[in-house]
Amino acid sequence: MMSHPLTLIVAALFAHDMWIEPTTFSPEPGQTVGVKLRVGQDLIGDPIPRNPALINQFVVVDAGGRKPVVGRDGADPAGFLRVATPGLLVVGYGSNPSAVELPADKFNQYLKEEGLDTILALRARRNETGAKANELFSRCAKSLVLSGSPAAAQGDRQLGFTLELVVERNPYAIRAGADLPVRLTYEKRPLAGALVVAMNRLNPSEKLSARTGSDGRVRFRLQSRGLWLIKAVHMVPTPAGSNAQWASYWASLTFELPATSAKVAMR
Amino acid sequence: MMRRALAAAVVAMLCGAAMQAHEIGTTRVSVLFQEGRTYEVEIVTDATALVEKLTASAGGSSPADSSAAGLQSTIASFDEKFRQRVQLAFDGSSVYPAIWYSVAPAIDAASAPAATIRLTGQIPSGARQFTWKFGWTFASYAMTVRNASSGNPRTEWLEGSQTSAPFPLTTASPAAGRLDIAWRYFTLGFTHILPHGLDHMLFVLGIYLLSGRARSVLLQVSAFTVAHSITLGMSMYGVLSVSPGIVEPLIAVSIAYVAIENIFLSELKSWRIALVFAFGLLHGMGFAGALQELGLPRSEFLTALLTFNLGVEAGQLAVIVAAFLLIGRHWADRAWYRSRIVVPASMLIACTAVYWTIDRLR
Repeated sequence: MMSHPLTLIVAALFAHDMWIEPTTFSPEPGQTVGVKLRVGQDLIGDPIPRNPALINQFVVVDAGGRKPVVGRDGADPAGFLRVATPGLLVVGYGSNPSAVELPADKFNQYLKEEGLDTILALRARRNETGAKANELFSRCAKSLVLSGSPAAAQGDRQLGFTLELVVERNPYAIRAGADLPVRLTYEKRPLAGALVVAMNRLNPSEKLSARTGSDGRVRFRLQSRGLWLIKAVHMVPTPAGSNAQWASYWASLTFELPATSAKVAMR
Repeated sequence: MMRRALAAAVVAMLCGAAMQAHEIGTTRVSVLFQEGRTYEVEIVTDATALVEKLTASAGGSSPADSSAAGLQSTIASFDEKFRQRVQLAFDGSSVYPAIWYSVAPAIDAASAPAATIRLTGQIPSGARQFTWKFGWTFASYAMTVRNASSGNPRTEWLEGSQTSAPFPLTTASPAAGRLDIAWRYFTLGFTHILPHGLDHMLFVLGIYLLSGRARSVLLQVSAFTVAHSITLGMSMYGVLSVSPGIVEPLIAVSIAYVAIENIFLSELKSWRIALVFAFGLLHGMGFAGALQELGLPRSEFLTALLTFNLGVEAGQLAVIVAAFLLIGRHWADRAWYRSRIVVPASMLIACTAVYWTIDRLR
């Protein structure tokens, strides 16, 4: 694990994270929660209003099953969900691909920042390091919201996104300072060697990062309370005939480590 | 020309599916120019997000006061910081605007407080174009620029930190007389061919290379000129409107055709004149696209249109004169003139034009 120096704001132009920020992570049963989408860096982001052309999946999964996150087009928060029963809710937003063309230097810088070393190497092998790049990027964002008391039995669920982060313990039921195992899957299979980064709202420049093992797992020791964002980016060459050379998938997962987590976990 | 084709492609992309697939935020920017004397830029953006960015970039954390008044005073207190990522430039030189910050409370529980930021100032005298850059947003945003006197707003989608395309301030100086305008548009027409319009230059060269006779050049150039004047005028008066996505690749095809024909033909045929006339109609639409981008002053519409067209003719003549000086006519009767000059030059022109055709279709 390592921490990065402060690299602040809008500087890296195109490598922006996207995450879900619910209006509350701990709603009461019956409460309506706004599901805000944010694009930015270091957990500082711009609101992304609901855009039906971008939405591929916008869902919430609870004990009762899978439901769409509804909302008004063009509005921020992009969606709303109503908490039917107490428990852990898994909110997911999967986007359609967006096209972007980047000059060589920006693209290479972004590959470095996101730890996409294999793509850097592939470009070097193809003598493309100096070439501009056309990319299609898709978002695979998730958020965990807890209504009521936490229980270790509640867990994150696989939503079926192309790239997906799944926490293997309920973060609302862990002791602060305990390890949180996280699994990264690409097309539902464990993805090895990918850079996974975790950051906390109170100190987003102090990032935790690790590469996944052969089983697609990393472990983070989360010391701080409050909002956490875990993220990973994966890129693949597009099949021949596509109008872009690269397809990238941006997985993110947000949750809140509550101040009472240590106490609850000991029960 | 290539730049224009690229701009057209970008516009087409933004207007099509790709625009919808962009992550568009809630920031909006509108720019208004008044009588060529003052500018007013209005930025509307999410107030809370802006405060977070400003405080984080100053190394602090967001203040607890999230009321509209609290957000407003926080944003105003970061005036110098805010200016660092905002750039208004006239002809590439940044200006220092007066800035007012205001924050309106959220309309309802589900919405967020919006900051409205107004930047105003004087347009430097003689300024010809305006560019804009706003580095306080991560998402895509729309910028609308309008000149109060011309009334045609231009909307451009920008990524955070991306510099806008130059917005021409051609109606900038109300004092500009008819002669000034005539000269300015004549120059714009001329430079649109020489040096900016490599494709039109190659077309004219293609015409020149066909045969050694002055009559051949004269007839073809006349047909071309009459034709492009017709479509340029019709397009500018709104009678004719064809997408640059269609016109630009066809212009490239016309160049390729003329050049390829030169390889197989050495005399002027009547159908060649008809074809050059038809191609001239296309090129006229291309000129109209360029002229529409430059903008025309309402008060001197006809003057500008005619002088631009004259500038284009002068540009064409300059190309022919240059070709005459370089290649000359006195060799035209020599046996090697076709094999060593006409054929290789036409092949080169044809290859370039085929490449453009493919490039413009993408």
